[in-house]
Amino acid sequence: MFTATFRSMVAHKLRLLLTTASIALGVALLAGTLILTNTMGIAFDMLFGKIGSGTDAVVRTEAPYTQTDGVGTNRGPIDAAVLDQVRQVDGVRAAEGSVQGYALLTDTHGRAVTTNGGAPTNGYSMPSDKELRGDVELLSGHAPTTAHEVAIDATSAEKHHIPLGATIKVLFQGPTQEFTVVGTVGYGDGIKDLGGTTSAYFDPATAQQVLGTPGKFDLIQVSAEKGVSQAQLAKRLSQVIPAGTEAVTGAAVAKENADATKSNFQIVGILFGIFAGIALFVGSFIIWNTFTMTVTQRSREIALLRAIGAKRRQVLGSLLLEALGLGVLASAAGFALGIGVAKGLKWLMDSVGLALPFTSLQIEASQVLICLAVGVGVTVASAMVPARRATKVLPIEALRESAPGTETPSKRRTVVGLAVIAAGAAGLLDALYADGGMKVFGLGLAAAMVGVIIALPVAVRPMARAIGVPLRLRGLPAELAEQNATRNPKRTSATAAALMIGLTLVVSMGVFASSLKASFGDVLSDQVDADLYVVTSSAQAPGYSPSVLAAVANTDGVDKVSATGWGMARFDGQDTGYSSIDPDTAAEVLNVGVTQGSLADLGPDDVMVTKSAATAHGWKVGDTVTSEFAETGTHQLHVAAIYKGKGWISDDFVVSRAAQDALAGPQLVTGAFVTIAAGVDRAEVQDGISAALADHPDAKVLDRAGFEKEASGFIDQLLTFMTVMLALAVMIALLGIVNTLALSVFERTRELGLLRAVGMTRGQVRAMVRWESAVISLIGAVSGAALGIGIGLAMSQVLKDEGIKSISIPVAQIAVYVAVAAVAGVVAALGPARAAAKVDVLKAVVTD
Amino acid sequence: MSLTTLTTPHHATTVTSAAAARAVNVAKRYGAGDATVTALDDVSVAVDRGRFTAIMGPSGSGKSTLLHVLAGLDRPTSGEVYLGDTEITSLRDKRLTMLRRDRIGFIFQSFNLLPTLTAAENIVLPMRIAGRKPDPDWVASIVDTVGLSDRLEHRPAQLSGGQQQRVAAARALASRPEIVFADEPTGALDSRSGAELLGFLRSAVDELGQTVVMVTHDPKAAGYADRVLFLADGRIADEMHAPSAEDVLDYMKNLGA
Repeated sequence: MFTATFRSMVAHKLRLLLTTASIALGVALLAGTLILTNTMGIAFDMLFGKIGSGTDAVVRTEAPYTQTDGVGTNRGPIDAAVLDQVRQVDGVRAAEGSVQGYALLTDTHGRAVTTNGGAPTNGYSMPSDKELRGDVELLSGHAPTTAHEVAIDATSAEKHHIPLGATIKVLFQGPTQEFTVVGTVGYGDGIKDLGGTTSAYFDPATAQQVLGTPGKFDLIQVSAEKGVSQAQLAKRLSQVIPAGTEAVTGAAVAKENADATKSNFQIVGILFGIFAGIALFVGSFIIWNTFTMTVTQRSREIALLRAIGAKRRQVLGSLLLEALGLGVLASAAGFALGIGVAKGLKWLMDSVGLALPFTSLQIEASQVLICLAVGVGVTVASAMVPARRATKVLPIEALRESAPGTETPSKRRTVVGLAVIAAGAAGLLDALYADGGMKVFGLGLAAAMVGVIIALPVAVRPMARAIGVPLRLRGLPAELAEQNATRNPKRTSATAAALMIGLTLVVSMGVFASSLKASFGDVLSDQVDADLYVVTSSAQAPGYSPSVLAAVANTDGVDKVSATGWGMARFDGQDTGYSSIDPDTAAEVLNVGVTQGSLADLGPDDVMVTKSAATAHGWKVGDTVTSEFAETGTHQLHVAAIYKGKGWISDDFVVSRAAQDALAGPQLVTGAFVTIAAGVDRAEVQDGISAALADHPDAKVLDRAGFEKEASGFIDQLLTFMTVMLALAVMIALLGIVNTLALSVFERTRELGLLRAVGMTRGQVRAMVRWESAVISLIGAVSGAALGIGIGLAMSQVLKDEGIKSISIPVAQIAVYVAVAAVAGVVAALGPARAAAKVDVLKAVVTD
Repeated sequence: MSLTTLTTPHHATTVTSAAAARAVNVAKRYGAGDATVTALDDVSVAVDRGRFTAIMGPSGSGKSTLLHVLAGLDRPTSGEVYLGDTEITSLRDKRLTMLRRDRIGFIFQSFNLLPTLTAAENIVLPMRIAGRKPDPDWVASIVDTVGLSDRLEHRPAQLSGGQQQRVAAARALASRPEIVFADEPTGALDSRSGAELLGFLRSAVDELGQTVVMVTHDPKAAGYADRVLFLADGRIADEMHAPSAEDVLDYMKNLGA
């Protein structure tokens, strides 16, 4: 049996190649994902390990609570006086206060040194003690020692041509200041930046002023004397430092930091994992399809084996062995390919602006094992059903002439498929119109999708007939193509399903994004009454310095400037984001629909809440809301106003900017609305503001159209990323089409020969195969588009409360997707079409 | 079966040459060097217009190869083949294919029909491939003659072997070809169905002046022919005119002895 298995594998080289390719692509995506996320993780570990390597203990304030959003824990600053206490502790060799904050470098021409995709632009205090610097090392020049000196990361210096001795401006949360560059910094092992961020180093006293608060540090770094362990040091420090502060080991802090940042990027890993899953899922369809065809094709061979005495189990074993061999081969190839995929993904992320720290690709045995296990598992599992069917081949079938006839999907399939779709639809409706929640929604979606896959064979014939209407005008080859496509609805639908899944995802994303954009435009029209918008220069930057506001306000023709901000806090025990506005001006530019109280009354101890939050918690105007801020602890805020619901403001809680500064420390501005005085020209004012912002490269001014474009630009970027990822899934689906067609052509050798004998030209034969492919692709694309539109609408609908108020279907875009899928299908058919045209007429029509 | 209701095919007036098809010094060899197998060895033969020619011979005699070469399904190693006045060995594949489609009718031993098409659709297949509208009266009369009127909407799988071969015969005649080539058309049929089919071919020759060339190994089938060519070792060994089945059988026996 082993020999038979091996021989039959080799005998069908094309089939082997196509199936290998489809599973290998799925495994490649998985491997690429694993390698990339592992590399990223190791890069993070290296970074934090490097920075903290000289620090044995850290003294800092205790966090009032641990934020659960994955950004790490915000805590208040520590009093500078604690540093003196720390230095007295036995075993402390050196201790220094450390400050970190927002610092945007500019080059010698005053242009902002922006990072790739909005990685942080940070400023740090540079410890004078070399050991406390960790792996931070000066590559040239010296450490900053005066209030006018700065050292910058070597990457920024090289990329933006900032030489030592140059005078550059650095932007802070406070006023911009000028510094002389006195050194460039690296991080050991030739690393010249911290994972794509920019870094500016100041002497500790200057850092306190420009990055933090004079008299305060973020934390105190401590280095132990020889022979004192980190744990011992932390313990001794704990005994002397004041209440509300804590001492932890350097190792613990490094781990905390790495974990926090890693969890930030975990979403990327999850996203990749989903795509790899889709690719494998689609790949498994192809394998299932291939094995089904293998069984059909080899039914005579299998029956012969059975007739001469092979046991059922031996036949099953032979087929599963084939699957196993294929799985191992394909997974190994896929893993090798995955290394390239990891590089490609990294490039893709860079180009859409997701900067991540990176080091040489980290490949581990565990990844190989996972990929092999998944690849082989999927292959064998996909082959199981057809293989079991093979064992049911009766020996008598060896004698039967195998003419590939037509099959009809069973009634049971229709019933089961429709039932599953109905269950899914019920779940969706429950989530949309009752209170099913997101879990029910997700389950409903999944059920609907599975139901459609089950029922698709039933729809193949009517769909092909509909698609065939215009085809019939193209003559007999097209007509035969339609019939061939519907000959085996199960096979056609399994092939089309792969494409359908890809299209469903792309289209649903498209509909969702389109609705998002439309909603953004509508909300802007309904709720915002501004003439101009001042936003961050780079879409992903955290914000800009409040000093921008003054510069804008002082521009001729500007009437009012109303800034907004954002932060995370815990309201009534619930971690959530909140918005901050300027109560004096917000009422003029922002119509959020205040139903009770007044926006103008929003004082420093007040909060405004949405109607739904108020209802949920039973709050009325004047009630108190227990609010915890990581930086300052617990406060009792009063409900000053209640507003309709999320719209422009996408949070349930709003505080004044003054309150935010007080409760969460000085803040960057995320955006500002500008109104202009009556009678002045808006374009002129915009030019004026642009000129005023020349000294503030972290912000820019946009008009309404520009603002909308900026906002949708980000959505488009994400959409592009998703589309590229899904294009890979679609590519695998196309391999499936090649596979199916190649096998169909093989099966129909005699028919093709007959057609050629009675006068069908090679060109017509090729056209016939191409049309068949187009029909299959269109079935997949059209059903995918329909399903995608449905899912996109459902997704938009279920997020109505989150601000997606408008529904928009990007018809042209979807039409392009469908057309591209059809054309791709035709391209996929080129090989099989050529094979069909080359069929030897004689061999086909002569009975041997 | 009778073809009295049918009109004469129009081609009879358009072609002037006496022979419907000719092979001139045709050889067909497979392989090279010591392994060369000669299927046809310098065969020259003319197929008479409006007559029923049978080609007979033992297995490996080259009878099927001769038919394939004459019908433009295979190319000879050397020599020339004419269909009417057209020399076909020099034609490119596309021209040759179109020639088969428009000027030749085929009946094979089995697998004559596309399983996805109905009997009616199979009958007009060559014309549909050409993008031509079949003459409905002509097709109807052919269908009527072969006795398939009530089977037209059936698919091949729903037809018996004899019915399938009659559909194939109807297809071969429906496009009014200059010549019909039949490759062991009764090989897979029981004797009654075979007799029906042969009778049909006979009357197509007698009443329509259709030219038919048939390869067979069955002396009874050859008995329907006007002329029987005997092939042995790739050469034309002998021929008979208007033989009975017994004549053919006797000759074959002697040949085998």
